[in-house]
Amino acid sequence: MIGASLRRREDARMLRGETRYLDDISEAGMAHAAFVRSPFAHAAIESISVPEAAEGLVAVITAADLGDAVRPFPVMEPRGAEVATAEAHPVLATGQVRYVGQPVALVIAHSRALAEDAAELVEVEYEPRPVVTSPRDSDLTLMRWHRRAGDVEAAFAAAAHVVTGRYALPRLVAAPMEPRGCIASHDAAADLLTVFCSAQDTHRPLEHLAHILDRPPSAIRVIVPDVGGAFGSKGVIAPEVAAVAAAALRLGIGVKWAEDRLENLVTGSQGRGIEGELELALDDEGRMLGLRARLRSDLGGYLLTTTPLPPHTAATLIAGCYDIGVADVEVVGARTHKVPIGPYRGAGRPDAAYMLESLVDEAARQTGIDRVTLRRRNLIRTFPHTTPTGLEYDSGDFERCLDLALELAGDEAQASDAGHARGTGIAVYVERAGGAFESAAIELLPGGRFTIASSSSPHGQGHDTTWAQIAADRLGVELDAIELRFGDSAGAPPGVGTFGSRSVAMAGSAVALAAEQLVERGRELAAEVGIDADDALNWTALAQAADAPLRAEATFRSANVFSSGAYAAGVRIDRATGVLTVERLVAVDDAGTLINPLLVHGQVIGGAVQALGQCLSEEAVYDEDGQMRSGSFLEYGLLTAADIPPIVTGEVQTPSPLNPLGAKGAGEGGAVGALAAVANAVTDALGGKYVSPPFTAEKLWRALREVDEAAGPR
Amino acid sequence: MHINGRVCEGEVEPRTLMSDFIRHQAGLTGTHVGCEHGVCGACTVQLDSEPIRACLMLAVQGNGRALRTVEGLAGPDGALTALQRAFTEHHALQCGFCTSGFLMTADALLRRQASDPNPAPLTEAEVRRELAGNLCRCTGYEGIVSALLDVLGTAS
Amino acid sequence: MKPAPFAYAAAQSVDEALALLSEGGEEARPLAGGQSLVPMLNFRLARPALLVDLNPVDELAGIAVPEDQSLRIGAMTRQASLLRSAVVGRRWPLLTQAVAHVGHAATRSRGTIGGSVAHADPKAELPVALTALDARFRVRSRERGARTLAAAEFFAGPFTTALRDDELLVAIEVPAPPRHTRMAFAEYARTHGDFAVAGVAVVVAPGGHAALALLGADAVPVRAHAAERALRDGAAAPEVARLAAAGVADDHRRALISALTERALRTLSS
Repeated sequence: MIGASLRRREDARMLRGETRYLDDISEAGMAHAAFVRSPFAHAAIESISVPEAAEGLVAVITAADLGDAVRPFPVMEPRGAEVATAEAHPVLATGQVRYVGQPVALVIAHSRALAEDAAELVEVEYEPRPVVTSPRDSDLTLMRWHRRAGDVEAAFAAAAHVVTGRYALPRLVAAPMEPRGCIASHDAAADLLTVFCSAQDTHRPLEHLAHILDRPPSAIRVIVPDVGGAFGSKGVIAPEVAAVAAAALRLGIGVKWAEDRLENLVTGSQGRGIEGELELALDDEGRMLGLRARLRSDLGGYLLTTTPLPPHTAATLIAGCYDIGVADVEVVGARTHKVPIGPYRGAGRPDAAYMLESLVDEAARQTGIDRVTLRRRNLIRTFPHTTPTGLEYDSGDFERCLDLALELAGDEAQASDAGHARGTGIAVYVERAGGAFESAAIELLPGGRFTIASSSSPHGQGHDTTWAQIAADRLGVELDAIELRFGDSAGAPPGVGTFGSRSVAMAGSAVALAAEQLVERGRELAAEVGIDADDALNWTALAQAADAPLRAEATFRSANVFSSGAYAAGVRIDRATGVLTVERLVAVDDAGTLINPLLVHGQVIGGAVQALGQCLSEEAVYDEDGQMRSGSFLEYGLLTAADIPPIVTGEVQTPSPLNPLGAKGAGEGGAVGALAAVANAVTDALGGKYVSPPFTAEKLWRALREVDEAAGPR
Repeated sequence: MHINGRVCEGEVEPRTLMSDFIRHQAGLTGTHVGCEHGVCGACTVQLDSEPIRACLMLAVQGNGRALRTVEGLAGPDGALTALQRAFTEHHALQCGFCTSGFLMTADALLRRQASDPNPAPLTEAEVRRELAGNLCRCTGYEGIVSALLDVLGTAS
Repeated sequence: MKPAPFAYAAAQSVDEALALLSEGGEEARPLAGGQSLVPMLNFRLARPALLVDLNPVDELAGIAVPEDQSLRIGAMTRQASLLRSAVVGRRWPLLTQAVAHVGHAATRSRGTIGGSVAHADPKAELPVALTALDARFRVRSRERGARTLAAAEFFAGPFTTALRDDELLVAIEVPAPPRHTRMAFAEYARTHGDFAVAGVAVVVAPGGHAALALLGADAVPVRAHAAERALRDGAAAPEVARLAAAGVADDHRRALISALTERALRTLSS
């Protein structure tokens, strides 16, 4: 079972159209929400006047109406970081707006169309204020983290080479195919607020709603139905969800908000949006003596709960796979008049790998040492390894990943010629996965069947089949004897959430432990009642023999585990047009023990294609007035099936010593490795000239001309 | 109108989109809405066996017409089609939200090939172009392309 | 995003459609394939009071080759029909090549030739191909009857044609090409099926016929007259390409158009 590429059980419902995503759900008497949103990136709200009546209108709710029935979002404070928690995102705008699209008023009507009609009748008077769109022009720091390890000055003074690089990643939109949404209703008799939420887990919506509404968690039930993708953007609830929940409490009717694509692109939390200046000190043999990094994040107008996390993650991973003991790393998150940043596939990990690996290639060019040799000389080889930023890598074999990637990439690529500039790039990466805790509860049912409640819910990753494989392996039964339950906070075992490549390591391990405990209880019972207990337990007989249903519950907790890998890319640029073609991509990932290699492969390819999107066409574009210009799929360019290069994958498995499965996490590696490798290939094709992604035809065409001009007449 | 061979009646406003009629009035929620501007393809259904964007058709335009949605693909006994089975075999879906749109597009292509007396075999590049009108954010398209190539190869 | 409310009328004939448009004035809009208009309705960028549905008007659709061997395309002809037409593929392959780039199968099944042309998106392929083919646009209104416009008259600006509020494009007429005419279309788009950033449509025939129309040089399709002269004079592809792009302000756009022109000309020769 472990390591078997079983096909997914959850597919049949999806293929038949029998799934229930948020907007597929209707409750009798339910009303529909639309929002009045700010057209300005920064303004004071002078007045809001609400229509007396409109067709189908039920209510218009503003921050004034909610008053102190709601609090702003809770804001996390990563360890060691200073966070301006007072700048938390309000539910509805309180006297000012700080990004285009910020929800100002909630309009509830008998249909979404009628709610949009009524929203047009709400008159808001704004007093526009100056707009800041660049972190450099910002007047407010929203978060800061700084760490020094070792004697940085001495390392740089002793260096034979000091290599500097400046890098930037523009903001991206997560754009899952299913936008966000919720249905909230309040049962006054039981005083229970029930919220269906398109979310990554039940835990965080429950926690955030409890905080925002100042309500005990026991008085809230969160149900997560089928979810059409998330990639980090459905971890923290949307402010709109909090507003709808508050409205349901106030009005005593069910209210649905089904986000549309315009809302999703313009106001969904965004990813990346970071610049960095890095300096690497090396000795004359290319050994890395020290690293300095100054990262600056374009954080947006307010802090949502996890806004401080991606920049912090980027800073802590900035030394990557290299044995650098000395470092001075600072990250500053600046307030800008844009949508807040949130985790988006990789959430700081791609940012770190991109900047560091670009710098290492630059070091190779400057020192004249081959870029592979330079990496080999500095890779971490003993584990556990503590980084200067305070992370402890549990296990890995970075060099084996690199070797395998090079082997799969094959011989030297073709050289540049008159028609095309060609380049190759490699990148090694490490990423933080696992951590905190998850739990599982398992029960033996009549007929030798089992039901497992997992604290971790899926949004496409294949938890159902994967957890069933783990349990079937421990229990010694067939897969179809096991039924999984997720996604309802009522009766859910405690957990943290599905994000950060942590589910198999944490929730999968909890399933393994719970199953193992059940096996122990089964053996005890078998001995008691005289049932034969050789290797395979007779669960059907045990179910009959038991007075009370046999049960087990386990919570698994561990420190972070670290996945890693090495990617290689080959690109060509058409000199006449600047058009970039990625000719091939090699992806080698080490996610420890793989429960289901087929599903892991799907995660790698999915993540890599998202990274290719960042490289080729995706960018959340803001103009100087803070207007978000990428408000439809015509502007925000997602890649199609016809835009994908051949991708070759390979795997290394260094099990983690930190959990019973030896598992790490595969959800984000593709997004991390592919970005850095393709970026390095493009820089190589440009002869070392740096261009930030997306690598549009226009940017590359101009870059090639500058390179030609600098080279002078031939 | 007819959807999957069954009569579906309803009163609609002129502005009611076919996607909303199918989902909320005919109760067939297997067709999904991802963008409402015709780009993502999640709402793809078939009109006279041709793929169309349900979000770009007004419900009222369906009067007297016949549509097929994802719920109409499997056999009357519930047996999945070769295409649907290939999707599972090749891990062509993760969250499943785009899947019905891909199935309707791919199924229409298979019907066209089947009705062509001399169908030209499609290369992988051509298959990718045929699928370029449906967006997927989870899979990177690899499994979807493999599944369709598999069925095309078996059919020829 | 749900549309603002509107009234709906299904026309059963061209005359009925014209009457409805005439009565509705500037508040009435014709609904062809809907692939351009309905997104605008959904975004509330278009808010007509009345939509006149042309889809039931069978007489508006159809591909015909009259006696003079020209091509007559009814405005409501589906893009998919044009793509599959054997006679178009044989004699006007430029149209087949151009329409293959328009959207995807699921939009070509409903999208119409007339709808695309009347929408006049500067990034659309069909207006450029039709301009290179010296197409003529047949227009009717209830008050003023029929008139025919050349491409340069028809395409007036970005998303703007010479059509008046009460006028309907009913057909597009493409002259018979000279014998041994060769045609090619080339474009660059950011991702597959995306709108074109730049494109070129070329038509060349022995005996001195040369037409070269550009997409992305301006807000309307543009005939590159200097390049056409050079083509007729037998200039080499790079020179023709340079002349085709010469009038374009942005240097990268110029480079794209030049490269696409060369690519289209190479396709012609092979």
